[in-house]
Order: sequence, then C-alpha cells, then structure tokens
Amino acid sequence: MPRRRIYNPVTELLTAALLVVLVLVVNRWEFSLAVLVLGVLPAVLLSGRARRIGLALALVTGPLLISSLLLHGLFFPEGERILLDLGIARVSVEGLVFAAVLGVRTSVFAGVLLTTAMTLDIAELLATMTHRGWNRKLVFVVGSSVGLIPHVALRGQQITRAQQARGLVVGRGPVSRLRGLLAVTTPLVIGLLVDASERNHMLESRGFSAAVARTSYLPDSDTAGQRVFRRLLLLGVGLSCAVWLIVSVPR
Amino acid sequence: MISLEVGSFAHDGAAPALTDVSLSVQPGEHVVVTGASGSGKTTLVRLLAGLTGLDAGATLLGSITLGDQRLRFDGSPQDPRIDAARWSAQVAYVAQGAWGQLSMMSSTVGEEVAFGLANRGVPGAQLRSRVEEVAAVLGLTPLLHRDPRRLSGGQLQRTLIAAAVVQRPRVLVLDEPFQGLDDDAVREVAAALEVLRGEGTGVVVSAPLLPLDAPRSARVLALAGGRPVFDGPLVDARSAGLGRYGIGTVGEPPGAAAVEDPTSAGTGAGPVLVELRNVSFSYPDERGARPVSGLRGVDLEVRPGEIVALRGPNGSGKSTLLQHLDGLLRAGGGSVTVDGTLIGRQPTGSFAGTVGYLFQDTDQQLFERTVLREVAYGPRVTGARRAEAERRAAAALAEVGLRAVGEVHPYELGFVQRRLVALASLIATGPRLWVLDEPTAGLDAPARGTMAALLAAHARAGGAVVLATHDAAFAEVVAHRSLWLDDGRIVREGR
Amino acid sequence: MSSSSAPAAEPAALRPRRLLLAAGGTLIVLTYVLLVVLQPTELAGGLGSVAALVSLVGFLGGGALLVAGVLPMLSTSSLVVMPLGIALNIAIGQLAGSLGLQIYLDAIGTVLVAVLAGPAAGAATGAISNAIWGLFNPFALPFAAGAALIGLLAGLAAKHGLFRRVSTAAGAGLVTGAIGGLVAAPVAVFMFGAAGTPGTNAIIAVFRSMGDKLLVAATKQGLLSDSLDKIVVFVLVALIVHALPQRAVRQFPFARTQRVLGGRGGRSAAARGNDAGTA
Repeated sequence: MPRRRIYNPVTELLTAALLVVLVLVVNRWEFSLAVLVLGVLPAVLLSGRARRIGLALALVTGPLLISSLLLHGLFFPEGERILLDLGIARVSVEGLVFAAVLGVRTSVFAGVLLTTAMTLDIAELLATMTHRGWNRKLVFVVGSSVGLIPHVALRGQQITRAQQARGLVVGRGPVSRLRGLLAVTTPLVIGLLVDASERNHMLESRGFSAAVARTSYLPDSDTAGQRVFRRLLLLGVGLSCAVWLIVSVPR
Repeated sequence: MISLEVGSFAHDGAAPALTDVSLSVQPGEHVVVTGASGSGKTTLVRLLAGLTGLDAGATLLGSITLGDQRLRFDGSPQDPRIDAARWSAQVAYVAQGAWGQLSMMSSTVGEEVAFGLANRGVPGAQLRSRVEEVAAVLGLTPLLHRDPRRLSGGQLQRTLIAAAVVQRPRVLVLDEPFQGLDDDAVREVAAALEVLRGEGTGVVVSAPLLPLDAPRSARVLALAGGRPVFDGPLVDARSAGLGRYGIGTVGEPPGAAAVEDPTSAGTGAGPVLVELRNVSFSYPDERGARPVSGLRGVDLEVRPGEIVALRGPNGSGKSTLLQHLDGLLRAGGGSVTVDGTLIGRQPTGSFAGTVGYLFQDTDQQLFERTVLREVAYGPRVTGARRAEAERRAAAALAEVGLRAVGEVHPYELGFVQRRLVALASLIATGPRLWVLDEPTAGLDAPARGTMAALLAAHARAGGAVVLATHDAAFAEVVAHRSLWLDDGRIVREGR
Repeated sequence: MSSSSAPAAEPAALRPRRLLLAAGGTLIVLTYVLLVVLQPTELAGGLGSVAALVSLVGFLGGGALLVAGVLPMLSTSSLVVMPLGIALNIAIGQLAGSLGLQIYLDAIGTVLVAVLAGPAAGAATGAISNAIWGLFNPFALPFAAGAALIGLLAGLAAKHGLFRRVSTAAGAGLVTGAIGGLVAAPVAVFMFGAAGTPGTNAIIAVFRSMGDKLLVAATKQGLLSDSLDKIVVFVLVALIVHALPQRAVRQFPFARTQRVLGGRGGRSAAARGNDAGTA
C-alpha cells in the first residue's frame, strides 16, 4: 500500500538529515528520546508500512544496541563506580550510562533515516533532482544503482542455481566458500560488464552527453513554498546549532 | 537514404569481418541481413548504426552515405568519427540483449521511452505528448506505467524499439530482435515493425534464419564468411539454396542427415530412468511478480533411449517441471526419482553426475578463462582428475565441432558457439539424463542440426533427454513423444 | 548528422574540478586530524557528540565535495560501470552473508570499478555506494569518505600495475585495508561508540580489557579486520578481472592504456583462436 505523500522527497530527506544534526548538537538524552518518541514513532506508525519499517529497524539497530551494551557494559576501563567485578570484565555505572546514551542516539539516527528512506519514492526524488538542475551524471549513477540492485541480486541467485546444476557444492571451509563465491561472481561481473558496454553505446546515442539541461518525463512535484521552507529550515537549524554550541560549551 | 559500401572491415588486427559488402536502404523498405553464426551480420548492422569501433582499433575501408552526406574511410587515423547522438536521430539502433539497452534508472516504461528526449532537454509537456504518440503507434499505451524490468520478452522488445524511435529516425536497425522470443512475441514485435515501416521508416533486421513473419516485399542480404552470397527478394531467397551457407528458414526441420526415425530406436527398453509420481509444486506468492503456474499432479516416466519434448505456452509449467529433474526445485507433493535416487534433501550439485541441465540463458553458466577449462569444470567437480577431465573436455568439444577454440575465452565467441560450449560441458560431465531448456533458441541452421544429431546419438547410446521447446519442427523430428502442458498439468500426449 | 571532431581533444566538461577536489580532500584530512589529535580528552568526559557531528559533517561533506569534483571528469564508459559496482557492493555483501562468509566483502564493486576505470571513478563509486547503502542501512552513511579512500587507493594500485599478479594485489589489499581501518576507526567510535558485529566487538573488548582507550582499541581492531577483508577483496577482484574477456576490458581506456592486466593488452581474440588451432 503506497503511503499518501505530503512533502517532496528532497524536503523529507533534508528534514531527516537536519534532525540528525540537531540530535548530535544538542547531545542530551532527554532530547534524543523526545525526538524518538514524538518524531520517529508517529512517522513510522503513519507511514502505512509500519511493520516493515519496524522489522528493518529492529534488524539494523538490534544487534548494534546489544553489542554496544555488552562492549561498554562489561569493558569500560574509565569507569570508577564498579557494580560487579568479574576479573577481566567489570560492570561500571559509567559504562552502562555510556551504552544507554549512545543507544538512544543511535536509535534516533537509524530511526529517522530508515523511516525516510523506506517511504522514499525514488522516481520522484530523481525527477526532483532533474527539475532542480542537479548534475545529470549524479542522477544517472544514483538512479541506475538503485535500479540495478534487485536485478543484480536476482541474477546472482540464477547463476548460483546454474552453477549448482553443474556440480557446485559449497562446503564449510573458507577456501571452498571463496571458490563458490568466485564461481558465481565471475559470470555475474562478465554479464554486467557486457550490458554496461552496450549501455555505454545506448547512452551516447540517446544524447546523454548533451550540454543542455536535462528534462524529466515526470511532472515537478516540488513547490515554491517547499523550496522556501527548505532554505528557512537550513538557516534555522544552522543558527540554533551555533547558538546552542556557544551557550553550552563554556559550561 | 542510407547506403554502406564496405571494401573491408576488420577488428583490431584480426582477419576481415566483412569484405566487399554493400547495402542501401530506402524509406519503407524491410531488409533482412542473414547468415550463420560468424558470418558478419552483427558487424554489418552495427556499421549501419554508426558503431564503427575506430577508437577501439577497428579498420574500415569504404564509405557510409546518410542522406546527402558521405563519409569516407580509408583506414587512416584521420578517418571521420561518427557522433552517436546525432547519428541516432537519423538511424536508430536496437542491439542484442535487452538489459544493456535499459538505462535502469526509469521506474516506468514512459520514462524509459522518454530518456533520449529528456537528455536533449525537450520540455516536459512536449516530451509527454511525443512519448504518448510513439506508444500509441507501437501499442504500448497500456504499459506506460509499468516497470520496464518486469515486462514479458515481447513487451520489453517493443519498449526498446519505442525508446529508439521516439526521435522519429528514418532508419531503424535491429540486431537479432527475435532472439529468445516465443512465437506470439515474435508476431507482436514483427507487427510493431510493420507499423513503423508503413509510416516510411526503413527497417533493417539481422537474423540467423530466414523469417516467416517478414513482409512479402522484404529484401534479403545473405552473408557467409563476411562476403555477400545473396541479395534479392525474400521469396527468391527461400529457394536460392542458401542452406549450403548454413542459412535455414524459421520452422524448418533441423538438418535431417544425422537424425534417424525415432520410431526405429529401441524406446521403452530397460528400467525407468526418470519417474515422477503425482508431483505438485507451487511458487511462493511474490508481490508484483508475473504469475507462473506450478505443477499439479504430474506423472511422468522416461526410459533409457527416449527423447521427450515438453510443449505448451509460456508459463505453462515446462521449466518448472524441468527444474524438478535435477533438484533445482523440490516437489511440494509426490515423488521424483532419477536413476534410482529419490530426490529429497541432497544438495543440487550432487546430481550433476547423473543429470545434465542446459539453461535457457547460457551465459549464467560460463565463468572460466578458456573454453577448455570451462568444459573441464563439470568433470572436475564431479570427481575426475585434471588430465582425465581435460581429455573428456577435448572429446566433448570435438563432438560439438569446437575443437579449434579450446584456448579462446568463452565470451569471445558468438552466441551460438557459447551455447555449444555449454552443451559440450554437459556432455563432458557424462550424465545419463540430459535436461534442456529451449535448446534451439537463437541457433543457426548448422548448430540446430548438430543439436539434433547429438540428442539422437545420446539416446542411441542408452541415455535419455527431456527438453522444453517452442520449436515444433525440432520436437517433431527429434522427440519420440511430446507432452503438452497447460496451467501445470499434462493435458495431451502425442508425437 | 555526423561530426569529424578529433577524439583526442579533452572537452572542457571532462576536466576535474580541482578546487572542489582540493576542498574535499582537505576537509577529510582536517576532520581526521581534529578527531584524532584534539579529541581524546572529550571522550573520557562524555560522549563526544560534537565529535560525532564533526565526523558526520566532515567525512560526509568531504565525500560529497570529492564526488562533485570527480563526476564532471568521468567519461560515459566510466559512468556506466559505477552503478554496476555499487549494486555489486550491496548484492555481494548480502550474497557473502547467505554463503556464510565471515567477512563483509562490501567493497568488491568499488575495487572492481577502480581497477577498470581508474582511481577517480573508484573513489566516486565508494562514496556514492555508501550514500546509497545508507538508504538500507544508515550505519553505512558516515563511512562514505573511508569507502572513497578505498576506491582511490585501489585505483592507484591498479595504475602502478599491482593487479597484474595476485600476490601484489594481496599486498596492495593489506596496505589499503590498514589505511581504511585507520580512517574508519574514529567514525565508528564517535558515531556509534565502536559497536559493530559480535566478531569485531570481541576484538575491541580484548584491547579494552587491557586498558586501551576506545579510540585506540577500535583503531587496532580496524587495522586487523579491515586488512583481512581487503586482502580477500583485492585477491577476488584480481582473479575476476583476469578471468574477464578482452572485449570487456578493452572498453575501458584506463585499463587499456595503463595496462592494468599486464601482457594481456594487445593480443586479439582472433590471434589467440589461430594459436589454438595450430596447437
């Protein structure tokens, strides 16, 4: 179910990025938590794909949070208030606090960016970049990469099956695994390079090297209002960061 | 309108790929450039498309005339270079292999068709109206919002044609546009080309076989060894005895010399080699994927010495059934037994010594540096020593007629030869059961004959073959029996 | 219709924007120096949030400037392999996981592009690759500058002929991995408190239990695991490019003129076919 779109993708990406910057500058766990609960959570719930985003978020941040807790909870030589001494490992208050504060910050970082990315309409983003006159080479590389990823993954699977049919059995040893990887990667790369060579001719003949500004088949969903909003947002966050840093540093 | 005079053309110091060939194309004309693998037909159509390859070391002696402009090439470094962007506005080109023709940055067919115009800065409103115009001509209007990566073969080919002709060129050049398409898709693409030709576009098509779906007025230029061997109307070409140059006609039975009447072969002798009992299978639901039928209660027995053809429309379950024979897919219900082994949870690779599988897309299998190493890979992984594997590989290459190219990189060969390399690596491994997915797709007449002869010889030697094919003439000559599939069931059995 | 323009003349559009390149490079170096030389006191006291900001903005911004400087100079033939490299990075990273390999292998595409199309294309591929990967996994985002460095070094190694033999490629991988690990360590520490996979964390824990500071422990760990990963990646890419057909290599002016693959430069397919026939 596609989400009902409110803002242009560029506006959303910029807002997300500035939110991350703000969290890093303010550097209070209260603020990070507030952004998490008041910003990220509602955005995920309203996205129309809350389950997928929640799952991705858990998969991406979960291991990181657990390993962070283990690492700093058990090994924090700077810690002075020791709760439990296990010989080599010592559980310290400072270590636990470090892990917790870092955990909240990491969650905000991942939550904000992942929610934005997973609701992003790539076609609209590329169209907006084109309409705003971004470098066409950058637009091509970004768009073509995103388009190629599922294709490459699918082709990799097909090649794996073809090699298995020829007798490839991947064993447990690292050498056997690397040989298996090579048996799949080599035809994959050759096929992709042959395609790329043809795509090179195609781009040349479709006038990709032309010097005029590129246009887009998709209409411009960006508005003058949003452009003003983006500039104000950039200015506002920049100013408040500067003020916050000046006020808080001498503390 | 466009004419080409080639005294000689050679790639990077190699022997000439073309010698003394000339071709001119008039508005509304349909020209078929045909020839067996390696005859120079792709080289010729690429020259028409302006891809001279001079910067990559190629040498051209001759001239290309487009409209009133004549470009002369005398092999010197000062030879003119062709500006691809400006050339393509007059002469559009659709190359072989669809994936390299897609920008991969378009999420809809409309964007892909608009790509060339957008690059040239055509304003949005004009862009959309021109795309809609071309889409209407080629019957693509209902597909404009579809993802180009999820189209059928015929739809994809029409999308590529639309993207090439959106600038309204005077000539459209296509390199083997029907390769890998089934009959319906071939008719669909041929009809689209007819519409463009009717509007005055000159159409040039290269093909390994003389087509059935070309207009009556079509002209044929046949090549052999880079030299012209026939230039005239299609009707005359069919009776011109081009078979001696390895040029056949679509729908013709394969070169019958080596194939014996299957009824005389000892079918039905010996114990069952393949046994499917009430096999059912269903694909997991995938959002956005094209629906593919699974299998529903399929029974099949194949005995040594038998060649069985699976036939039926696209998506009827032919490939699904084939993949059950070497464990690429595992039956959801029922049982599959091959050469006395029940296919259960063994790794797919462990069947390679018993079952040889030829995929429809050969290029997913080739990965070694030389043809000989490539063909020796199968015997090696199934347990043969290096010397033994290379001996078997050399013997298999000789069988498919590729003895001379053992040290060449597989990708330096043409499509037909790569296909034969894949077949040789199957032969070298020595399985009793051959499973072949569309073995004749894209082959020229000699390779088709070789394929038929090899299958017959394998059956005579006590092996068995199961193949899925759209090639009715091939199946009728080669197979002992055909099974027609529809919607995952065997609906009919016969010759 | 057709032009007889001389292909040798380099169009103005293909010249690198040296100012942008210099600014990007300087920004990355300054960020690194700031983090390593001036930072350690802050970490002991608190979380180093300013350091996190500096590493995010410095490395990401530096990477963006580099890309902006490099992109205009890239030819279409370099441009078409970059998406391929980026998609390979991500897809093979996942494939490696499904085959049960313990290393990331997520720079294969970057190194491949660098070897075929040169250091500039390699650097841009690395940076954009991590930026796009950030869409799936935001933790890849701050490492963009490190990935660009890997691409740059791999391209330089190829330029100096180190990919002509597998052994020299392995050596180049060792050096590149060590440098990459050195640069990635402060990002890992200041952005994410050095948390990573269980494997890398175990190594850090060992150094921490010996009393190392977090940055020191993470740097040592980076030197260890990144070197190993890059040795494997460089060797794999060397094996892959040597298995490529001439036709695929010849389309890249960098690989052709720098003779990246050594003696395989000149001989044509037909010549080798004739050799085979007489052998």
